[in-house]
Amino acid sequence: MELARVWPIVCQYGIGAVLGAIGIWCGIRSGYVDLSDRKDRRLIWTLVGGFLLLLAAVCVFTFWAPFWVRGGER
Amino acid sequence: MTIPAPPIAATQFLGTDLDYAVILIYFVAVLGFGLMFARYTRSTRDFFFGGRRFAWWLIAFSCVATTVGSYSFIKYSAAGYKYGVCSTQSYLNDWFWMPLLLLVWLPIIYYRRVVSVPDYFEARFGRATRVAATAIILLYLLGYIGINLYTLGQTLEALLGWRMMTGAAVTAVAVALYVYAGGQTAVIMTDLAQGIILLVAGLGLFLAGVWHLGGFGNFWSLLPEGHRYAFSEFSHPDKFSFAGIYAQDGLANTGAFMLMNQGIIMRFLSLKSVKDARRMAVCWILILAPLAAIATSGSGWIARALAANGELTTEPKAAFVNAAHFLCRPGVFGFVLAALTAALMSTADTLVNATSAIFVNDIWKPFVRPNGSDRSYLRVARVVSLCAAAAGLALVPLFARNQSIYQAHGMFTAAVTPPIVVAILLGALWKRYSPAAAFTTLVGGGALVALSFVWPEILVRPFAFGMGPDSYKFMRALYGLVVCGTLGFVVGLLTKPRPLAEIAGLVTGTQLEAMRRFKGGEVNRRPGRKCRLTVTVDPGLGDSNIAALPPSAMTAMAADPGDMLYACDTRWWLGGLRSVHLRAGDAAEEGQIRIGPESAAIAHFTDGQTVVLEKIM
Repeated sequence: MELARVWPIVCQYGIGAVLGAIGIWCGIRSGYVDLSDRKDRRLIWTLVGGFLLLLAAVCVFTFWAPFWVRGGER
Repeated sequence: MTIPAPPIAATQFLGTDLDYAVILIYFVAVLGFGLMFARYTRSTRDFFFGGRRFAWWLIAFSCVATTVGSYSFIKYSAAGYKYGVCSTQSYLNDWFWMPLLLLVWLPIIYYRRVVSVPDYFEARFGRATRVAATAIILLYLLGYIGINLYTLGQTLEALLGWRMMTGAAVTAVAVALYVYAGGQTAVIMTDLAQGIILLVAGLGLFLAGVWHLGGFGNFWSLLPEGHRYAFSEFSHPDKFSFAGIYAQDGLANTGAFMLMNQGIIMRFLSLKSVKDARRMAVCWILILAPLAAIATSGSGWIARALAANGELTTEPKAAFVNAAHFLCRPGVFGFVLAALTAALMSTADTLVNATSAIFVNDIWKPFVRPNGSDRSYLRVARVVSLCAAAAGLALVPLFARNQSIYQAHGMFTAAVTPPIVVAILLGALWKRYSPAAAFTTLVGGGALVALSFVWPEILVRPFAFGMGPDSYKFMRALYGLVVCGTLGFVVGLLTKPRPLAEIAGLVTGTQLEAMRRFKGGEVNRRPGRKCRLTVTVDPGLGDSNIAALPPSAMTAMAADPGDMLYACDTRWWLGGLRSVHLRAGDAAEEGQIRIGPESAAIAHFTDGQTVVLEKIM
């Protein structure tokens, strides 16, 4: 695998993780996000889940799908 | 919302008379649909924020139409044709901003009742920063309306054979009329329809192409291997490298779109509650934006596969139109072109309404007529909507005659976006960020970015990861963010911040204070459930928004007297169009809710009607 295709994932999801962590930390620390509240907990899980879902999608379209042609041959 | 690419060259209209008729019918239908909502606009709160009453799903679809800008179908299908699946990158950058948006910025603007970025800047930093931000944003918006109408006129000229000014003028008049009459409600409703149309058309075109090619496997095999990656290479090619797209789009433009775009701020403030804003953002960014990415880029991928199959020859810029023409029957082709005009109009209407909001809230109210009545502000807002559309239209021949003015606006946008994004971010995240630091970030940062157009080799090249001048357009965003961030941080450290008591509710750590101010008392966060009650209009309650409720309803909602409530028509599909915010008051008879005539008029409720009631805070 060419690193030129891997660095974008590291860069986008690395910076994205930092931005996301700052946002979640600010929300929790301020008391605005109440982790004892089910809805607030669900929001945090959604934010993290969305991040992982997008990460999984770009991994598929970097490590597997580009080499997939007609019936799964590589 | 991305900056439109330079217009495509005119070609002959490819469709038939039936296609022409479909597009004309579409124009008339959108205009009529927008005008229908005039009766829901009775105040500036309605005109700018749709009465702050809408449901999340409605705003999510309308935001898709706004995001898919004037030139998205042409631009992203061209990128899809040339570079493949990585053309979706611009639409998939937004999720990383969600925590900052939903947990920091949104509670600040919603609960502090901030109506615009300049309004926030005045509350957070003082009047000088507000003036600077107002001037910058107004110039940006007016130029942007002009560019949208210009690219729109060019597109309609290429597609329908209309003269450029005719296309721009017809659209400007249609948009101005329904924004004038219905304000934000008309914008949201027409954008809802246009969002659905452009998604159906774009995704339908993609699926039709896949079906024509014999299934997804065949389609995928026909794409070159380099076209099947999620991202382009890190620093290659210069014109479409990952680093360039990410710096410009993923960081600067998406940051600007989420934090400073007046149209998007107004859309968030049109929601009935912050809880709905969370749902809306998740639906929009995680579900609809990826669909919009496929809808706008998909025809480019299909065109590439058709070309590889020897069935189509096209230039990248014409990939969308040619793929649509190849795949669609007469009438259907017209529908696809109507979707293209939907994308054009839905951006223009948002900009016109946003310009009006900035003018009224940041110039007219604070500086010209501070003590005017709401009715007078509404009149001014409507007139400014017409003027904004007219001013944008007046810029069209200027942009057409003089490409340097077109490019100058592009430069201006590139120069002002990083300073404003940095000023908002630091202002919302860092208590030490002082008024002097914010002003320096805006003015000094803007000047430093402007200098990068004069000395790109000296200033931008070190940020270009070894790429050549073709990448500077993108990498300038990274340079801008770094210099503005550094400037703001250093000046922030060296100057005196405002006392925390003065900026309560405007910076992270004080979101709960913003909630208290919004409610006017301690926030009730006990979970409750919705309940159904029958409306009784009580003239004794007059103009107040107090609602009398039975004790059982108060218990079910876990509400206390003084809590903020939201009453809505039972028909969910109205999306909150008939609804009103209330405050829990005295006790009423079992099964009933008593409200004043004013509240009933705002919500279009009648005596005896059943409504759904929920606690907002």
